[in-house]
Amino acid sequence: MKLKYFTPLIVFIPVVLIQLTVIPFISIQGVVPNLLLIAVVYFSISNGQIFGTVTGASYGLLFDLISGNLVGSNMLSNTVAGFIAGYFSGETKREKYLYTYSFTLVVFMSALINAMIFSFFSVMDFNTNFLQALFNHALLPSIYTSIVSILVVIIPYKRAFD
Amino acid sequence: MFKLLSNVWNQFREYLVLVSLVIISLSLLTQNNNPQVQNVRAVAFGSFATVTSVFYDLFNITQLKNDNQVLRKLNAEMMIHLSMLREQGILNRELKGMLEIKDTTSLPLLPATIVSKSLSITQNTITINAGIKEGIKPGMPVLSYRGLVGIIQTCSENFSIARTIKNVDLKLTVKNENKRLNGIMKWDGEKLVIVDVPRTFDFDVGDRIVTSEISSIIPIPIPVGIVSNIEEDKTGLLNLIHIKPFEEVLSVENVFILMLVENTEKNNLELNFYNR
Repeated sequence: MKLKYFTPLIVFIPVVLIQLTVIPFISIQGVVPNLLLIAVVYFSISNGQIFGTVTGASYGLLFDLISGNLVGSNMLSNTVAGFIAGYFSGETKREKYLYTYSFTLVVFMSALINAMIFSFFSVMDFNTNFLQALFNHALLPSIYTSIVSILVVIIPYKRAFD
Repeated sequence: MFKLLSNVWNQFREYLVLVSLVIISLSLLTQNNNPQVQNVRAVAFGSFATVTSVFYDLFNITQLKNDNQVLRKLNAEMMIHLSMLREQGILNRELKGMLEIKDTTSLPLLPATIVSKSLSITQNTITINAGIKEGIKPGMPVLSYRGLVGIIQTCSENFSIARTIKNVDLKLTVKNENKRLNGIMKWDGEKLVIVDVPRTFDFDVGDRIVTSEISSIIPIPIPVGIVSNIEEDKTGLLNLIHIKPFEEVLSVENVFILMLVENTEKNNLELNFYNR
């Protein structure tokens, strides 16, 4: 059995611990970065679309179970986000999107879709102003998540500065 | 046939995996109140919360210094209040004795600490280090010394998850403390609001909002917040009352659980928004 199938499980525990304990301290007006999504995007680009989709679903389901969220809401949004990020996977694309600042753009796009789906199932009603909801619930967290994802590029890969 | 299926799988496997997982997610979304799903969730978060509590304590140490300073100041203020209350208590006992009314109010409060917070704009939940062993049950109110924080949603042996007031799934009956007007309060993803309030209802900015005794979740008045703004509804017939909560969910660390669950017989008779 290849190690790559276990890596997301090993990574999940520290990431979710940080998400639930440390991240609340750096929230800005209730907006927090989504570390799980960054991990999903990373695995999706590095291991392919199917791997990313399944990782997204597993991460989402586990997070729903341990955080008290509506079971299935994070699973659905992370599944789709992992699938979208998978479009940036492939032999030629991997180097380009994983080790450079393009990674933050992929994270931003996936986070936007993730947050839109999550918000749709949790907050939308007939009185909601769609554009305002899109801005508050999707755009701001996505920007914050993509800013934090810069760390993934900067810390382990010096190539990003090339 | 096998070749056809194989071809379809090879060509569309990414989409097939996506569709299957989306269907599973949607079916799980409809099964949230299923007791089996609740049990799985209780086991999952109970196991994980043990690890989280240790981790959270490590980071919390840095906050303790600031908390101590705030608490010392609060202690001094409370001491003055207590002194005044003692005077009033003595007077109250004398007056009650004169009227022959017995004092029966004694609220069971259980102190607990938050071990993790799941923050999102719409579904804020907190995990606290008290569970079934301490007698916690779903539906019990969670509060701090400032006011209401949330309602217990799920319990495991040693931990519980509470929906905070900043969770779109929590709707509460509240009332204007002075004017005795009731309304349904909810978190709309951006602000805490009392919805569908008739324009004839006399709410003013600055009015204190407490939980209503007609609530099917919280049986006693607990402070929630103050009216910060009054907005006209799109129809022009109703008002939307904005509330500034007394307790900031993001910063709260220590809470109390009010060990009371509203009468189940009454709950069965009334429309229970918690079970919606």
